[in-house]
Amino acid sequence: MFDKIISSGKLEKKVIESIKIHLKTLCSAAECFRQAISSADKESTFCVAQLEREADTIRREIITTIHQGAFLPFIRPNICRFIEIVDEAFDTLEDAAFEFRYVNNELFKIIEPECSRIAKINSEMCEILSLAFEALIDKGDLKEKNLAIRICEKQIDDLKFDIIEKLRKIEIQNFWDGKIISDFVDYLTRLSDLLEDASDYLYIIEISLK
Amino acid sequence: MNTKVKEIMNIKLETIKPDASVYDAIEKLVDKRMRSLIVLPKNENDVYGVITVRDIVFKVIAKNLDPKKIKIEEIASKPVISIDKETELEHLIRLMEKFNIARVFVHEGKEIIGVVSLLDVLSASLVAKARSK
Repeated sequence: MFDKIISSGKLEKKVIESIKIHLKTLCSAAECFRQAISSADKESTFCVAQLEREADTIRREIITTIHQGAFLPFIRPNICRFIEIVDEAFDTLEDAAFEFRYVNNELFKIIEPECSRIAKINSEMCEILSLAFEALIDKGDLKEKNLAIRICEKQIDDLKFDIIEKLRKIEIQNFWDGKIISDFVDYLTRLSDLLEDASDYLYIIEISLK
Repeated sequence: MNTKVKEIMNIKLETIKPDASVYDAIEKLVDKRMRSLIVLPKNENDVYGVITVRDIVFKVIAKNLDPKKIKIEEIASKPVISIDKETELEHLIRLMEKFNIARVFVHEGKEIIGVVSLLDVLSASLVAKARSK
């Protein structure tokens, strides 16, 4: 698929390899977060911030290389937008990890099964997004990956509904406890929306190349 | 596909007493956006049952019966078909096909802990396929 725009260019190959690393870093961050949530180990969430910083460096390199002339101009905005959405996903994951460290343990226990499930699905979605990018490059079945990501997003939407239903029944005594748990759930569930957007962008890139 | 049912089951379960009315069940199903409810055992010697939207439509609505006058125990299916949480997906699919059922409950010991529907099976198989290179 990318044969049309790469033309064996060194810069293009460099960008593609960097995007692959960027996405693998996202997978690592999501998996690290999943383990922290399922073990309720707040200290181990610091790995997310560390991986986000690494990803920031990779993102800058990618954008710089694109502006040095990688890819034909018509495709550059789409690739840049894809990278930005993945970057937003990193930020959202980092925010979720940050809020998790301050979440009231008693409140978290109530929604722990749903949160663990969401973190697991998020991690799987990151993995599928990485495979989707490889499918775009290697002429694989991108549509199949795109559908799987949409299914996962829908599952998280349903789980979000269950969490909100549970939380609404609880009387919050402390403003910050309420705000933090609400923000935590918001970030945790927003990640899947961004991953779906990123997957849609890959599909748009593929369509635009046909 | 070596997925186990515990990985894909829905843990959101709602129960209803056998002496409640079908109307109570309808309210619960609509409020909770669910398609089936676990019917609690009547006593220690009794077993869990299940009532589905299908039961309500075919056994009450279609026969022009008043849902407020029919008790759950009159139309519920007993015993509930359930499988162990460690069961593999292939086995679950065979069971669903054999009994022509759209959802199967999942147990751990004697306790029912989840439910798996045909849509969950379809979603899990599509996601598993997408995850394989």
